[in-house]
Amino acid sequence: MFDYPIFEMPVLGHRLIFAIDAILHVLISHGAAVGGSIVLALTQWYAIKTNDQKLYDLTYKILFVLFIAATAIGALTGIGIWIHANIIDPPAIGSLLRVFFWKWFTEWIVFNVELIFLLAWFLTWKTYGWEKRTQNLKFGIVYAVASWLTMVIITAILGFMLTPGNWLKSDFPAQPDYIASLFNPSWIPSLMFRTFFAIGFAAAISMYWTWWFTRNDLTLREKAERWFGRIVLATIPITIIFGLWYYAQIPQEAKSLMFVAGLTTKYIGHKEMLIIALLGAFALILVAIFAFYLKPKAVPFALASLMMVSYVFLVAEFERIREFVRKPYIIYGYMYAHGIRKFDVAHLNSVGVLKYASFVPQQYRTITEENKVKVGEYLFKLECRVCHSVNGVNAITKKVKGLDENAIYHRIGALNSPATPFMPPFVGTDEERKALAAYLATLVEQKQTQTAVNK
Amino acid sequence: MNNPNNPIFPYLPHDIPLPLPTGGMDAIIVPVFHILLVVSFLVHIIFINVLLGSSVLSVINNWIGHLKNDKNYDKVAYLLTTPVTISENMGALWGVAPLLIVSVMYTAFFYSASVMNSPQWLHIIWGNVVAFLISYLYKFSWHKLENHKALHITIGAIAAILFLSLPPVFMSTVQLYITPSTWTPNTHFWDVVSRPDVLFRLAHFYLGAFAVNGMFMLLYGVYKKSKGQDLEAANILIRQGKAWFLVPTVLNLFVGTLTFFQFPNYGIENFYSKGFEVFIIIAVISILGAIAILLKEFFNDNISPKHAYLAAGLLLVTLISMGITRHGMRISLLEPAIAQMQKQTQEYLAAVEKDYKEAKTKPVGISVAEAANLSEGEKLIAKNGCTACHAVDTKIVGPAFKDVAKKGYTPDRIVKLIYQPEPSNWPGYTPMPPMTNVPKDEAEKIAKWITELK
Repeated sequence: MFDYPIFEMPVLGHRLIFAIDAILHVLISHGAAVGGSIVLALTQWYAIKTNDQKLYDLTYKILFVLFIAATAIGALTGIGIWIHANIIDPPAIGSLLRVFFWKWFTEWIVFNVELIFLLAWFLTWKTYGWEKRTQNLKFGIVYAVASWLTMVIITAILGFMLTPGNWLKSDFPAQPDYIASLFNPSWIPSLMFRTFFAIGFAAAISMYWTWWFTRNDLTLREKAERWFGRIVLATIPITIIFGLWYYAQIPQEAKSLMFVAGLTTKYIGHKEMLIIALLGAFALILVAIFAFYLKPKAVPFALASLMMVSYVFLVAEFERIREFVRKPYIIYGYMYAHGIRKFDVAHLNSVGVLKYASFVPQQYRTITEENKVKVGEYLFKLECRVCHSVNGVNAITKKVKGLDENAIYHRIGALNSPATPFMPPFVGTDEERKALAAYLATLVEQKQTQTAVNK
Repeated sequence: MNNPNNPIFPYLPHDIPLPLPTGGMDAIIVPVFHILLVVSFLVHIIFINVLLGSSVLSVINNWIGHLKNDKNYDKVAYLLTTPVTISENMGALWGVAPLLIVSVMYTAFFYSASVMNSPQWLHIIWGNVVAFLISYLYKFSWHKLENHKALHITIGAIAAILFLSLPPVFMSTVQLYITPSTWTPNTHFWDVVSRPDVLFRLAHFYLGAFAVNGMFMLLYGVYKKSKGQDLEAANILIRQGKAWFLVPTVLNLFVGTLTFFQFPNYGIENFYSKGFEVFIIIAVISILGAIAILLKEFFNDNISPKHAYLAAGLLLVTLISMGITRHGMRISLLEPAIAQMQKQTQEYLAAVEKDYKEAKTKPVGISVAEAANLSEGEKLIAKNGCTACHAVDTKIVGPAFKDVAKKGYTPDRIVKLIYQPEPSNWPGYTPMPPMTNVPKDEAEKIAKWITELK
């Protein structure tokens, strides 16, 4: 990070804009693309098998919604994850690409098949009509297989970031072992967990839209809701089993961060809150599914909507925890969240990060009494801005509130301690640490004067 | 790093310290990268050209149809929404491959430019999402809004304008990453997009997009005609196609020439020295051929399919030659910068390796000499991370241990508080997290040590 140009994301901070894009992408890729393709191809097949043209037409209506979501939002936010990563943490995404290029390239080829068959499935549904229904179904099947294959590859990369295994054959020069990085310990369990979660999630989405599209046909609603309900109920136990296997692969240090990840440090004293929220959402989903299954005609729209909200909450919380427990690393055991490799630390601690900070103006690379605060600001931007904004989300001003310069200096020296094990260490010379402390202390002063003025 | 000895590239980051993914076969795989880059980019750009051109022309024809009350123009406008849907999807998809290859071959350059061009760089995602959704609204509301043309045309126009707003972001980022000689610590989007090299390239691109879409409309019209479908609409497509191909293409002969001379001199010299100018000559000759064919057939609605395909073939030759020219300019501009970056990366990594190995041989944490003077309690608080927030005598983040001692807790109570802090005991302080990582026996020793502090 330290030698790339600097872009600060005010107020929201980098983490939040990344999370918005990533969670939106997961909701659509799992719900609409991977799960959606499987569930809707199955439903189309079921409609053909039971010779039910009404169910066939309903499937198209749901596909219409999923098509718009998958192509307009899902595909672009997928590229967006990469675009966001490249402005937030260029060394991290750059490293991943060097290790996973050919897998990504393969995924791109599969993605071509996926998109072409999605376009074919959707655009020919109406023109083929009921007569050529089996032909149209074939497009759907190829789309479903292809979209699942893209998940196969992407979960390898996601798994790698948390459980890279022995992927470095040699540290100097860094020589990756491509096979070990692909077959990292959490790849298969996370893939299976996501697959069955996605199918259940997509079936729940279909239940929701079925409610919407069958307001005038309760017989159709009954049949469709029971069908989708069966799919959700079948996936839940399988998802839980693979979830436990996945959990078992996660490093112990990461597991110990789970409650901080789910709750933020502010509420860490109330672990029960997380458990209640997660179990509550899960229970609500079960109640809704059973209600749909047993009395499809009686389920109120509010319950269907609450079920969707609960699913979105579970997905968002899962992704948040998965991203967070990797801390302090971005690639476990190799590169810290601020983009500095663990190999770099010793050298940068002795000569300083400013020496190599290409895009910090020359006059701020030597620390003097006069420019100390300004240099500290640059150091904040280099090492802290990936996670902290100044005054907005996860504001640094809140973290240093009430501390004097000396206290801040001490705190910076022990970031990666058992008290805050998710923080990467501050990297740089003692002089640089003092400059950062001096800058952060001015933020405390500014805050104090502001409150004084407001009063 | 800043390199005052190199006046051309004073600001360059380091390369990613991992090898290119060639499996050690650089000589075979690197040329494959180059070919993949040129080919996938060409496919991408042809789809994007059709997307931009067709989304604008659908709106224009919709409007003409409304003004003239002519169903045929309305038909043309509706026909053009299908290539928009297909090319927005395929264009985005085929943009991924060049992005992938550029990111792996020219990592530090491309990522630096993306960061400098932010937050505008994010527009290519979020602006695109909105444009997609509005273009779908335009397409799928066609029959519902048949009697509300003003509203419908406005929706289409918003989508088209949004699509047209994306190339300036792309173009400035692309131009920025291949010209690292122009980088400064303060470079940002608005400086870049107003540079002459970017403006000329952008004009060249927009003209090219409408020309390629003109050719597409011509072929679409010829195809419809050969099938005997929508004959009047096919005639409109053929007429408009020829005009939209010819006018921008002739203009582009001039704009293209001017664009070329906007590049930095060292790049142009390097370009000639590698012989890439041959591809410019091929491009110009074949495009002149395409212009000649369509000028001859300009007033003929029944243009022979053979002539149309020949013109399209010649345009394709031009596009391929331009794609190679474009890549040649990128190579010419980046070659000296890559050489400098590799040199500084090697120096950096050598220094890192030396210090890393030295640090590994040193004892971790407190030095032996220091440790000799510490009491066991002090060693334990350092080991368990308590010193991150507490000092013996002074307030840091949390209270000083001496202040804790003054509260007169029993050792058992302190052990409890280590595992389950009560922030209400210390109003005004940052709440302490539960330190469940501290082993029980060590917690007891720490507690005892605190109670004994004076």
